[in-house]
Amino acid sequence: MRTDDQPTGPSASAPYRFAEQHTPPAPVRVSEVAQTTFEHVYEVDPRLMEVHVLQQVFPNWDTLRIMRSRADHLAWMHTHFAEKVITGSEILAEIERESTPVPPPL
Amino acid sequence: MTITEPAGPIGTAPFTTEPLSDDRLTALVRALRPVLADDQILLAKTDRYNRARVPAPFPVHRWAERVPDVVVMPTSTEQVAAVVRIANEMRIPVVPRDGGTGLTDGAVPHRRGIVVDVKKMNQIHELDLVNRTVTVGTGISMMKLNERLAKHGLFYPDDPASYPCSLVGGRIGTSGWSLIGSRYGHTRDLVLSFDHVLPTGDVLHVGDGIGRKISKSSSGYSLKHLFMGHQGTLGIATKATLKLFPKPEAELSPFWAFDNYEDAHACTGALARAGVATFAGAVLFDEHKVAYLRRDDEAYIPQPADVRALVCSVMYGYEDEVRAGGKRLFRIAKEHGARYLGDEISEGDWAARHDRYATPLHGRTKDGQVIPMSWHCEDAAVNFSAVPAVSRAWHEILADLRRKTDVFDDWGMFAYTSAATGVDYLTEIDVGIWEQRLDDKAWAAWVKAKRDIGAVALAHGGSMSACHGSCREGEVDLVPEELGRGFDVMLDVKRSLDPNNIMNPGKYLLDRAYGRDTTDENR
Repeated sequence: MRTDDQPTGPSASAPYRFAEQHTPPAPVRVSEVAQTTFEHVYEVDPRLMEVHVLQQVFPNWDTLRIMRSRADHLAWMHTHFAEKVITGSEILAEIERESTPVPPPL
Repeated sequence: MTITEPAGPIGTAPFTTEPLSDDRLTALVRALRPVLADDQILLAKTDRYNRARVPAPFPVHRWAERVPDVVVMPTSTEQVAAVVRIANEMRIPVVPRDGGTGLTDGAVPHRRGIVVDVKKMNQIHELDLVNRTVTVGTGISMMKLNERLAKHGLFYPDDPASYPCSLVGGRIGTSGWSLIGSRYGHTRDLVLSFDHVLPTGDVLHVGDGIGRKISKSSSGYSLKHLFMGHQGTLGIATKATLKLFPKPEAELSPFWAFDNYEDAHACTGALARAGVATFAGAVLFDEHKVAYLRRDDEAYIPQPADVRALVCSVMYGYEDEVRAGGKRLFRIAKEHGARYLGDEISEGDWAARHDRYATPLHGRTKDGQVIPMSWHCEDAAVNFSAVPAVSRAWHEILADLRRKTDVFDDWGMFAYTSAATGVDYLTEIDVGIWEQRLDDKAWAAWVKAKRDIGAVALAHGGSMSACHGSCREGEVDLVPEELGRGFDVMLDVKRSLDPNNIMNPGKYLLDRAYGRDTTDENR
């Protein structure tokens, strides 16, 4: 049952208790087909999910949980396959150092 | 040799026959009772329906046509042998099922019968630290195995895109391909030997010679390869001895962007040919793949418009070796006009490649609306020089399909190195298929497209499958063409080892070994 302290909007949001959880950051368009809300959280443009697949309403904590779980999973997978990850930026920096001429001693 | 052609036009043949009658089912269960405990014989609808398909899209309105009569979950080679012996005596089909992650219907019971689910055979029987081998039940997953091996600093490097959920036995049955096979070899190289139940219920040990832990023998025929990649048509692997490696100390997985496909293709070849010892693979993403990723993938949405193709390379080994090899590969990439995409995308995308089956999938209608789609993946083996031509031809086939219907969506192509020298590539086109709309007409169109896709690979001197196998409608029609006289040898072997055609019947056109479609006879 909808009460006054709950946000207006899709009925799927009604069961959640905290209204502020239903107010994500204002979307910013990042491409013709995608927008972003929280940092690193990309969403399909809602206009493209109106016919066959409807967008679901998630409370903010759940959106962030899904994103962080994904990061946890990827970090776990790295550790599973090797003891450590060497970053490409380290290798690039090494190449850069080696290609920079060393000034002659004064 | 008598050849029986498939009945009716391609794509219209029925998948299967009717379920067992009550009398035969009762007799079968009665025969299984002395061999298996009650909880190893599954008759519930849910148990059977859940083992009726694999991830490869199919017309789901025909799901009920491929549901097995019984599922059994044996715990030992002896139990598997006893089940197969009973099936052979009663002329009831037997279909082995491991992770059920295969993409060519190997685990699908096209003729119903008994599904032998090996997931309870997931023990580690022996870990030999001195000879660096492990002997396991074939129902164990590589991920679970590696969690145990990591405690000893060891690693079993068989790494399909279904890594967390596929099982050792399924890898043997398909002769699987590994993402990092260019460094460590593929399943055929990593499995030293295994116990195998033949279609008559006899048990055979296959390896190099008779050894369990021998990596090279010249004694007799090389039977190990014969009993790998047969898609369950020659029996069931139950216990395998695997080759182990030190767990890598370091990983490096740079991703580079290119403003054109040609440079990216040339760079991929140069990376593979460089001879870097820690090189475990390179992956080429084409323009269509980049366009697909720009729709939804958080790593690619923000990429500038001049990113038209991508290349990834991955290295594993000791840190000093990986650093040295990495510098060499970075220099090669730079010479080909590559731009490094950054650490976050490089590390995140590579880690995700071990687990592609966890990705929720959707595609687009032609007017851009999101639709739920399942993933189909073609996986031809193609020489490096032929990859661009095969790519162009495949995209044309998909474009023609998409012009006709929204059921199919071109998700672009990858080409993965299969070997360290860069001789050939697992050339993959990913296709979104709207399964709920896959009616008989759309399915027939898809089967024709699959046949055309397979024909392109063969016309360019390739093989239709580097990894999955070639059992599905459309592709299977071309297996005799691909193998030539070798296909007749397949028929001879099948008839010799499985005289009653009970082992996974209906696959690989092997009914031809019996001179006719033996479906009714088997039932």
